[in-house]
Formats: sequence, structure tokens, C-alpha cells
Amino acid sequence: MTLPAISVRKLVKRFGQTPVLQDIDLDIPEGKVSCLIGPSGSGKSTLLRCLAFLEEASEGMITVNGEALGFFENARNERERLPAGQIRTVRSQIGMVFQQFNLWPHMTALGNVSEALKTVHKVPKKEAEARAMAQLVKVGLENRAGHYPSQLSGGQQQRVAIARALALSPKIMLFDEPTSALDPELTGEVLTVMRDLAAEGMTMVVVSHEIGFAATIGHQISFLDQGRLILTGAPATVFAKPRHPRLEQFLDTYLDRGASMLA
Amino acid sequence: MSFKLFNLLVQASAWTIGISAISIAIGFLLALVLSAALLSGKALYRRPAEFFISFFRGVPLLVQLLLIYNLLPFIGLNVPSIVAAIIGMSLCTAAYQAENLRGGFESVPRGLVEAADMVGFTPRQVFLRIKVPIALRLTFPALVNEAIMILKSSSLVSVVGIVEITRMAQDLASSTYLPIEIFSSAALIYLVICWSVALAGRFGERALPGGAK
Amino acid sequence: MIFDPNVILKHLPEIAAGTGVTLALWIAGMLLGVLIGFLVATARRYGGRFIDLPLGLVVEVLRGTPFLIQIFLVYYGGPFIGLSLNPIPCGLLGLSIYASAYYSEIFRAGYAAVPHGHVEAGECLGFSRFQIIRRILLPEMALIVMPPSVNLAVILLKESAVLSIITVPELTTTVSAIGSQEYAFLEAIFLLAVIYWVIVEAAARLGRFAESRFSTYRFSTP
Repeated sequence: MTLPAISVRKLVKRFGQTPVLQDIDLDIPEGKVSCLIGPSGSGKSTLLRCLAFLEEASEGMITVNGEALGFFENARNERERLPAGQIRTVRSQIGMVFQQFNLWPHMTALGNVSEALKTVHKVPKKEAEARAMAQLVKVGLENRAGHYPSQLSGGQQQRVAIARALALSPKIMLFDEPTSALDPELTGEVLTVMRDLAAEGMTMVVVSHEIGFAATIGHQISFLDQGRLILTGAPATVFAKPRHPRLEQFLDTYLDRGASMLA
Repeated sequence: MSFKLFNLLVQASAWTIGISAISIAIGFLLALVLSAALLSGKALYRRPAEFFISFFRGVPLLVQLLLIYNLLPFIGLNVPSIVAAIIGMSLCTAAYQAENLRGGFESVPRGLVEAADMVGFTPRQVFLRIKVPIALRLTFPALVNEAIMILKSSSLVSVVGIVEITRMAQDLASSTYLPIEIFSSAALIYLVICWSVALAGRFGERALPGGAK
Repeated sequence: MIFDPNVILKHLPEIAAGTGVTLALWIAGMLLGVLIGFLVATARRYGGRFIDLPLGLVVEVLRGTPFLIQIFLVYYGGPFIGLSLNPIPCGLLGLSIYASAYYSEIFRAGYAAVPHGHVEAGECLGFSRFQIIRRILLPEMALIVMPPSVNLAVILLKESAVLSIITVPELTTTVSAIGSQEYAFLEAIFLLAVIYWVIVEAAARLGRFAESRFSTYRFSTP
């Protein structure tokens, strides 16, 4: 058995006094697509943001390819924060795609994709732009390289955002509801890019409302409800009947085109 | 620094507050006329209003005060300097308030006016019942800001000899050789006045119809 | 009293010098104000509560008191704490501090206006805090802070006339002195008003032009 790409142990996240995630234990297998599903407010996005270290877990440990992310347990079994440089190194293995794209409006598509190469990794401008262009080709937007975000459709913006994350050659890609902000007719192009990425063997963690997408390309489905991980497993087992009552209830309420396929 | 000196500054603040309040009020009335002229759509009214606003927003208040203070006697109006000060401050704030009001009237959402038209309001009713209340609501925060600006600017009337806070502080500082204490106290009094106005403005905003409770 | 243009012509070099002092003080005060204001806003954003609260209090005090009182405090109070300044440096110091308080609020609003997700995107890609400020926050907020900055610049130009009260040899001081000397005070003040009007209008137009040239990129939906 290979080492999991990400492993989460006893993770707790509180906002002030309110617990939003409790006792999460989860392994993200390498080279597979893991999907986090659950109702709004179940904590699935918060969990993903903890994996990106955009939120700091209140308790528990996260390791990425065996290296501690953010916190580690010292010799006296105390939880200790790692230095910023170390956090940045571990984090550099992770790429993040946001629901709202978060493209920088003052840079072109090519600028968005090449910026981190130039600024963070000090890659010479020409080379950085060539590498960025290759990523834009990959998401099918080479002819939009000079466009500003406001001149692109939502689907195109999200594909640029995926290219931006891919440009740093991450080992793991996190997707936070990548299609929720899109008009229905634009989700397809983004899902296609994600499918291609999965086919290449990229380790992916996807928070999504697209149950159909999760069921068809997900290798591992994790269902969260009220801040707890209810069940994790292969789609065939998770969605097989008889289902867990809370999953059944969730599928009833959040029935979408994909979920109806499962019914 | 004695309490007596501080008390003199507090007493002088009555002039600061009085001059500012009167100027804001006169300025508001003038601003209503000016903004009506700006929005009238007729160049005959709009141009002079624009000219007036451009001048009074383009020239430092200090220069305006000196100009009016010296101009009034020249055209045969021998009025006390307090009147010159109030005229100067009123004209200046009128220019700023007129711009605020114009912005407020222009920001009244079209849909609200159309809704009133559809239920049979006359243009006059639309203006009085819909546009004016909404525009005043929208411009209220700017009005509070302007009041604070004028309170601070009123320190300039000290140059035409009105013994408000700043002039009193100047006189006291030169006679007592305690400039740090005197001017800090004056600053403190201005702060209390300005913060009170800001606070009152926030309450007022909530008390206006439709305000966030 | 007939307006005599020869009086103006005779004093043209002095008027030009006074205008020069006004413009120099204005531009230097503005640049220092922008710089200090930006540093203050940045320190308040990243420095934690113990930096934010005291700085916030200082900003509120500067914004809640008249410029003239601040100038008097520096000019007349300074010597008592070992800070004896000539009128020009005193005026520059006062103008920059005054400006920095207002500019810091403009930059604070600018920081707040950039969607947090844009910062998170940079964090995920490994940007340091400094890189995030320089490459993401500053360019993105530039467009937002431009109009209020231009507005403030015009206000500062007019406020600089107050420096005449502490005898800074700027435009107002120069022209009113000519007025007294030539027994034509009203004409002098009228001329002064016109000069300010022209400079302020020119500055405002220049600012609007800069704004329009600056907005070469368009914001997308956040």
C-alpha cells in the first residue's frame, strides 16, 4: 500500500466557539480523484481550505506526502506551528482552484498564469511565459492569452485559474466547488478539463455539488454532514443501496441531474 | 495649565459651534437652490450655478474669507466681521452641499420613480414624496461629513478677528507661554465636538425613515 | 480704486516665487503624505491590534482637529520640546502629517476593497506577504484609491494657504504682502483667488486625466 498523498488525523476546526469540523480522519490516495460531498454548511469547503492551509485547523494534524502541513507534534507531544518558510515549501505541492476563480483583474490570462513563476520562483520572463502558454494550451485557451479576466466568460476564467495552479507543477490539486459560480451551460468545459487532468493521474480533491461528476470520475467519495465525516469509500459502495440514511436524505434534497441518475 | 484657561477655550467653542451651525443651515438652503439650478436642465440656470460652485470649491476658504471681509466695506456694507465670516463660510459650504445634493438626486433609483408614476403620482408628488426623501437619505452621511469639515474650517475665521476656539487659543498661548498645553486643549475640544457630531450623525442616520435599526 | 495691471507686472517675479513655494510644498507634502499614509495603512492591516489601535487613534485625532491647530502646535509648541523649525520645514512637516492621516484612510479602504480570494490565490501559489502587497494588492487597489487621492490632493493644495498664517512665504503670504505694500489689498486678494482657482482647476483636470489614463484594465466580477 502506497503512502496517501494527504492524510488528515483528528482534525478539529472551530470558528470562535462554534465547531465546524470535528474529528476528521481522512486519507487522500495518490493519483486518484477524491470528492467531498455534503449539504451546505457541512464543513466540506472548510476541510478543503484546511488542506490548502487557508484555514488553520484548531486541532489535529495534516501531512502532505509524509510532511507535516502547518503544525507538527514535537518531542513532548505538543502541537507546534512550523516556520513560514517550511509551510510554504509543503504548500508548494498543492494547487488550489476557487469557486470565485480569484483571477487577478489587473493581469491578462497569460499574466495570471505566469505571475507566480516570475515572482515566486524567479523564472526568467520569457521562460515563465512559455511555460504559462503551455498550460493555457492544455486548458484550450491559447487564443485568449492576452485577454483580461473581465473579457472572459466564467468558464474560461475558471480554466485560466486551473492553468494558473497547474503552472507550478503541483502534486495535488484542490478544487473548491469549481463550477458553482458558473452558468449551467458553462460547467461542461471546466469539468472536461478536470476529467483530462484525472485521466493523467493527477491527485485531486474536489468539493462539488455535481454529484454526477463525483459518481462518474471520483475514485473515493467522502460524505460530510454537520461537521463530521459520515462515510468514505468507492462510489459503488457509498452510493449502493441501502444507503446511509443521512446520505439518502441529502441525495433527496440536493437532487441534481447527476444524482437523479443514481436514484 | 489652569482650569480657568481651559474654561475660556470651552466658552469660546460656543462661537465655533454657533458660526458653524448657522453657516451649515444657510449653506443648505443655498445648496437647495443651486442643486435645483444644476438639475434644471436649462443652461441659463445651470451655468451660473456651475460657475459659483467651481469658484467656491476652487479657492481656499482662507482666501474667500479675506476677500469677503475686504469686499463688503468696499461695496458700502459696513457689517461686523462676524457677518463677513458667516457669509464666507455659508457660500463655501453651499458649493459643497450643492454637489452632494445633486449627487443624491441623481442616485434616486429610476425604478422607484417609475413605480410612483405607475400608481398615478403627479410629477410634483413624485418629487416631494419620493425623490426628496430618498435624496436626503442618500446625502445625509455626506451632510454630516460636511458639518465636520465646516467645524474644523471655522478655525480660519480667527484671521478676521472672531474669538472662537482657535483665536482664543492663540491669544492665550502668546500671553501664557504654554502653547503645547493650550493648543492641545483646543485640539481636544475640537475632537469632542467633531466626534459628537459624527456620533449624532450615526444615530440620526438610523432614526431616518427606512434606516437600519 | 482702479485695478492697475502695472502693479501686478512689477511684482510678477515675487508672485511667481510664491506660486513656486506653494506648488513645491504641495507636491512634497502630498508625496510624503502618500508614503506615510501607505505605511500606516499597511502597518495597521498586518501589525495586529497593538499597532492598529494606537495608529487608528492618531489618525482619528488628526482627522478630527483643524489643520491650523496642528500647525500652531508644531510651530509654537515645537520649540518647547526642542523642535525649532523655520516656517517652510514646519509647514512641510505639518502638511505631510495632515495628509498622511487622510491618505492612510484611503489606502485602508483600498486594501479592504480587494477581494480576499485574490490574496488567497497568491498565498496558495507561494507568494510572500511582500509579494502579495506589491504584485496583487497595490496594483488592484490603485484604481480604487485614485479618485479619492486626486480629491484629497486638491484639498491639500487649498489647505496649504493656511501656511501663510505662520508666515511661510507661499502664494497667499506673498500676494497679500504686495496688497498691503501697494495699498491695494482687495485687488491683491481678488488676484490671489483667481490664481488659486486656475491652479486648482488645472490640478483637478490633470487628476481626472490621470484617472482615465490609469484605468487601462477593467475589473472582473469578484
